[in-house]
Amino acid sequence: MNSLERIKATIQFQKTDRVPVIAQVFGHASTFAGVNLREYISDGAVLARGQLRALEHYQYDAVFALMDVNVESEAVGSRLTYRENEYPVIKSYVAESTELKDLRIPDPRQAGRMPELLKAAGILNNEVGDAVLVVGCVVGPMTLATQLLGMERALYLAIDDPETFEKWLDFSTDVCIRFGTAQLESGVHLPIVFDPASTPDVIPPQFYREFVMPHVKRVFRTFKKAGSLANWLHTAGPVASILPYYSQIGVDIANIDYCVDPLHAIEIVPKTCIDGNIKPFSFMQETPGAIARESSKLIKIFADRGGFILSSGCEIPRESKPENITAMVMETRQEGN
Amino acid sequence: MERLIVALIEGERDQAIEETRKLIDAGFKEEQIISDGVEKAMEQLDTKCTVESFNLLEIMLCGRAVMGVMNELYPSEGLYPPQTKGTVVIAALEGDVHDLGKNILKTVLAASGYRVVDQGKDCSLKQLIDSAQKEGAIAIGISGLVTTVVTQVRQAKKQLDKKGLGYINVLAGGAVLKQASAADLGVDYVAQTAFDGLHYLAQKSGENNE
Repeated sequence: MNSLERIKATIQFQKTDRVPVIAQVFGHASTFAGVNLREYISDGAVLARGQLRALEHYQYDAVFALMDVNVESEAVGSRLTYRENEYPVIKSYVAESTELKDLRIPDPRQAGRMPELLKAAGILNNEVGDAVLVVGCVVGPMTLATQLLGMERALYLAIDDPETFEKWLDFSTDVCIRFGTAQLESGVHLPIVFDPASTPDVIPPQFYREFVMPHVKRVFRTFKKAGSLANWLHTAGPVASILPYYSQIGVDIANIDYCVDPLHAIEIVPKTCIDGNIKPFSFMQETPGAIARESSKLIKIFADRGGFILSSGCEIPRESKPENITAMVMETRQEGN
Repeated sequence: MERLIVALIEGERDQAIEETRKLIDAGFKEEQIISDGVEKAMEQLDTKCTVESFNLLEIMLCGRAVMGVMNELYPSEGLYPPQTKGTVVIAALEGDVHDLGKNILKTVLAASGYRVVDQGKDCSLKQLIDSAQKEGAIAIGISGLVTTVVTQVRQAKKQLDKKGLGYINVLAGGAVLKQASAADLGVDYVAQTAFDGLHYLAQKSGENNE
């Protein structure tokens, strides 16, 4: 069974040769490319090189054509500050200088760093796409809206003028769909939807249901039609209170962060594949033995149920100890059936 | 006063300001509106916001309403009424430009009777410590959303000790830092939410007053 077959079977709750493992290695792969983070997230060929070398080293089941969370916002018109070994941050939000009616959906083949990400997707597909899951990434509509407007302005707008906020969400949804569809055309098997601004740490579940859910649903419906292998939603944070909405949204893979009890998640989404949920910080802080124990514990929890991909709860920090990532991967080799 | 409390908890800024005006017209003193209205509202919000149900939106709306009331009461002094519970210096350290969580902490502490000195984001550890010394702080609050600040956080207490300021409590919080233990970071406390940090400070203040 190769990685791609293993992932496909796991999503369908079918028997596999071992538990699949996806380390959420993004910026950490810059070290494998031999470059700083800034170069890694600016050049699709470099990004692909880092991902392929990291795959060769760690032998997990997926690679990521993923730069950072500001690719879409930048392509729409926000200005970023780039730093050598930090992800870029937004210097000025596009909404500070441009009205919504004057904004255009960016063309992924031309706008900002989008073409570079598509280039990375193409290279990864050519190199390993027949055997390893190639994952793209879009930020969710809510997250993009907060990155076009600024978080505070977005949240206050949602309360003070919900109709206008809906329009921003509609626009953001269109951006997500256009970018994700282009990624699928370029070779990713699926674009993960990363939506940290929708975490219950930021908005209450009722807000999620009313504002966010319909838009994420539209994104996933369109991705499936465009050939996406599965709908993978990564909201981050304590998502238990919004997990009940995942089946309505059409989620096939639900990422759970370290603060979500896996047993509780199983109760809420019994028929949805789950990935997670080792604490990201522990890859920096802990020992390989501790990571192996945590991995083993998770594998055992899901042993009878199936539908589980061993992973970190969120991105594995760039500064993580490589031996800790190896410890997670190796645990699936030792006991994961 | 109860109507003001309800308006604040529900984040209804305009209504909260309106209720404040009515209270002033009825002869209530500013200090009383703060202690019996604003601080009571924060206590009730605190009870409502457990770690499981804490969300930024509700706190932001309440915070905006609180600031509206504060500006109504102290138009020339901005957010800060005369505080009595001590000074807390807060910042996001160098390399971290996220300040929403820090701003929430600022509001929660200020509305609960602390004087808050905000050193902003992307702040050097030296600047933070110098400020704590200058302001006579009882505590430092560090918000961290990126892993690269961890090294600086680990230095905070050591630097304070070197300057003979080891009595200043160091609190850490934010999406990255709250994954770590206080021992991991070498700080006095890791707060899961702004209110969690507030409880810690209240407990420390209580100990010092005993």
